[in-house]
Amino acid sequence: MSAIITAKDLVKKYGDLTAVDGISFEIGEGECFGFLGPNGAGKTSTVKMIHCVSPVTSGSLTVAGLPAHIDNRVLKKMTGVIPQEITLDNDLTVYENLIVFSKFFDIPRREAKVRIAEHIKFVELEAKRNSRISQLSTGMKRRLLIARALLNNPRLIIADEPTTGLDPQARHLIWQRLRQLKAQGVTLILTTQYMEEAQQLCDRIVIMYQGKILKGGLPSRLIEDEIGREVAEIRIPPEEDAKLIAQLEGFSSGHERVGDTLFFYCKDGHNLRHKLVELDLPNTVHRPATLEDVFLKLTGRSLIE
Amino acid sequence: MNLSYRIGYVFFRNLMSYKRFVVPTFIASLIQPLFYLVTFGIGMGAYMGQFGGKSYLDFLVPGVLVSSVMLSASFECLYGTFIKMIHEKLYDSLLATPVSAEDAVAGDIAWGAFRGLVSGTLMMLVAMVMGVSPVSIPSVLLLFVLMVFVGILFGSLAMIVTSFAPNFDFFSYYTELILTPMLFFSGVFFPLDRFPGWMKSFAQFLPLTHAVAVARAVFSGVYPRGLIANFLVIVGLETVVFWAALKLMKRRLVK
Repeated sequence: MSAIITAKDLVKKYGDLTAVDGISFEIGEGECFGFLGPNGAGKTSTVKMIHCVSPVTSGSLTVAGLPAHIDNRVLKKMTGVIPQEITLDNDLTVYENLIVFSKFFDIPRREAKVRIAEHIKFVELEAKRNSRISQLSTGMKRRLLIARALLNNPRLIIADEPTTGLDPQARHLIWQRLRQLKAQGVTLILTTQYMEEAQQLCDRIVIMYQGKILKGGLPSRLIEDEIGREVAEIRIPPEEDAKLIAQLEGFSSGHERVGDTLFFYCKDGHNLRHKLVELDLPNTVHRPATLEDVFLKLTGRSLIE
Repeated sequence: MNLSYRIGYVFFRNLMSYKRFVVPTFIASLIQPLFYLVTFGIGMGAYMGQFGGKSYLDFLVPGVLVSSVMLSASFECLYGTFIKMIHEKLYDSLLATPVSAEDAVAGDIAWGAFRGLVSGTLMMLVAMVMGVSPVSIPSVLLLFVLMVFVGILFGSLAMIVTSFAPNFDFFSYYTELILTPMLFFSGVFFPLDRFPGWMKSFAQFLPLTHAVAVARAVFSGVYPRGLIANFLVIVGLETVVFWAALKLMKRRLVK
């Protein structure tokens, strides 16, 4: 796998605020790479530098062998961006939005018409072709953003929280479309705060927090390494913690108290489950470990504001 | 500076959206200058007698014409651009394409100038109906050229204001404290020669003064000496503010 994106000691500052604090990573061609993190972690700042709309403060960032730079039209031409905010042109119809955008990419009119027909179909908006943007639901707007990002047949697609604010149906449709694109060999960069989304789509992820990368790798490996296979959530008063921890000694690989709940992590849930049944505790949930556990363990379970 | 032919694409985007607003914008850009022509030109003109051998309306039309260009171009690059930048976030999506920040801003200034040209042309038609016409066909063509220059000048100035504007209300400072007073100190409604010396000097610092002087000369076909200086002021100032507008807007757009 050859790298399409290489970042080394990448820093982004806005005045005194450091949004990205010296991160390094590589993204392979054809890979789906996810940036995970809470709000303000630096995900969007990072991808904005990759798609050349935000200048790099320091460090190096190359995309397809070229330095990422605000005036690098070559890179912008090969990149499709699905933005976090809905930046559609409200004065225009669905079709006009796409025609205008294809002009920005120097796509000849005839070719543009072919691609637009194709992409409108791909995102299932045929019936809305001549509707104004205000007549679309949020899910439709998000799908139109995908169609718009595909007009230039991008080699690299950046999806910045592409399913924020969508209902489950709309979210699944978008996931399917993104997977299809990946199957076609497009490199996909995703930022998200939804762990399920990352597990659904990403080959590799990094977890960002306060401008730094805390951990990175395959989602399944991260869960295995950080948490184990299973998690038991037990709601007991904190006074009983010590006793229970002693009782479960040897069955779990780690524990953590958050608010009213005591979390036990374990590599092999079989014995833990038996022990829990034996102890007959009320308010117990036993479930497989998820990326969300990793995320919360690394970035802290308390509110981040 | 990273300008390219893509300015035209931004202009095209505006044209696409304009087709839905043509009628309301015609009315909006006509109403104020028309108001001036009728009240000052006809109403006050009745008491004014002759102005250099012509009616007051003849004196008034060229100035009102360039003022309407000024107002249309300014409003487009103040409110129009602000909406596109902050509310619609159109610049954000533009910047992710091969269209550069400079292309986008220059395209919007060109658009503002076009809107000015449309307003000025409408004004000219109204004046013709009221019996005041440019002296010849070449003078009509020269007026079109002048309107484009004036449009770019005031579009760029407005763009500079927009590059600093935290919100809509900020624009009132510019329109109420700069544009409106300029209308009254630039020789649109009365000649400057009876002003006291300091006011005459002050007027020379107002770009509209020079635009009005050139418009009046082109309209009547009588070119006084020193007119070239007025024209050079317009072109010189325009070059500077256009450049500054692109720089300042880029600073705001690229973070």
